Amino acid sequence: MTDELLVVRAQLGERGALAELLARWRMPVWTYVRRMLDADRADDVSQEIWLAVVRGLPRLREPGRFVPWLFTIARRSVTDRLRDEYAQAEETSAFGDIAGEGIAEDPAEVMVERAALVSVLSALPVLEREILVLFYLEDLPVEVCAHVCQVPAGTVKSRLNRARRLLRESLEEKGHTS
Amino acid sequence: MNNEPRRSAQDMIEHLAPVLSLRRRIRAVTALMAGVAGAVFVSTLWWSEPGPLPGRTHLAFALFTALCLAWAAYGGWLLTRRVPLFAADRVIAAWIGLAASLATTAVVTVVAVRRGTGAGLALAVGGLFVAVAVVLVVRAHLRRAALLRRMRELTGRGNP
Repeated sequence: MTDELLVVRAQLGERGALAELLARWRMPVWTYVRRMLDADRADDVSQEIWLAVVRGLPRLREPGRFVPWLFTIARRSVTDRLRDEYAQAEETSAFGDIAGEGIAEDPAEVMVERAALVSVLSALPVLEREILVLFYLEDLPVEVCAHVCQVPAGTVKSRLNRARRLLRESLEEKGHTS
Repeated sequence: MNNEPRRSAQDMIEHLAPVLSLRRRIRAVTALMAGVAGAVFVSTLWWSEPGPLPGRTHLAFALFTALCLAWAAYGGWLLTRRVPLFAADRVIAAWIGLAASLATTAVVTVVAVRRGTGAGLALAVGGLFVAVAVVLVVRAHLRRAALLRRMRELTGRGNP
């Protein structure tokens, strides 16, 4: 059953569809939150996100756009917790976001990065960490990442490139090879 | 590093249960309906009171009206911000709203006629409430129909 069908059924008032939606997206949401925040806050923030999702679900006009909507809510809860970090990061990245850069698409390299990602994620700046989590761990397309982060697709690509460079440097410092 | 959520899916659903409870939705709808109906009723009594009223009576009517409006605002806030009303709930709530609007209009009109202040204003205000309630009923049914249609399309696509 597609997400859209589950959302439509949940919007009609089927509790079972809502529970299935939660079961399906609980871990991806938690993973995103956990990679952005510490373990102590991850469960509470996830719960808060699902509360907002349940409250807002009847008003979701495009059930087919559930995933971007869900991660937008999740990001809002995370940015509320990391307000200072985001403010600082937005300031410093203003000159670094050059729209229109391409993303290296080497699948082998992506696999290495995906596996090593988690170990060094917490050391990365918040904007780069966020984009890596959404793109690599959540497998969201660039357009969806752009929607969730409320930036143009070109900015997502430049952030991804910068994040990959930082990731590579972190891995090299730790003695990994990419 | 903790790589598993501490709460199970079942735990999370149980935590969300109060938000989805029928009792909470009934409470929200009741607060809104009773608040609006009460405010209209008390205002009608106040407005149709024969003869000049002492200051204290004005104050009492004003306080009653404000109290009813506060309940209406609380119910409205619950319904728009705290309690999710899904399509089926919306249809039921809209019909309750229409019934309450009709009942309030009838009571207020009778009171106005008995006090000899004329039914014109009561009918006009009541008519406005009824019209809004009818719009809400139509919108709720249209929304539910659109969702049912989309569900059939998606189900049909899934099972050719």
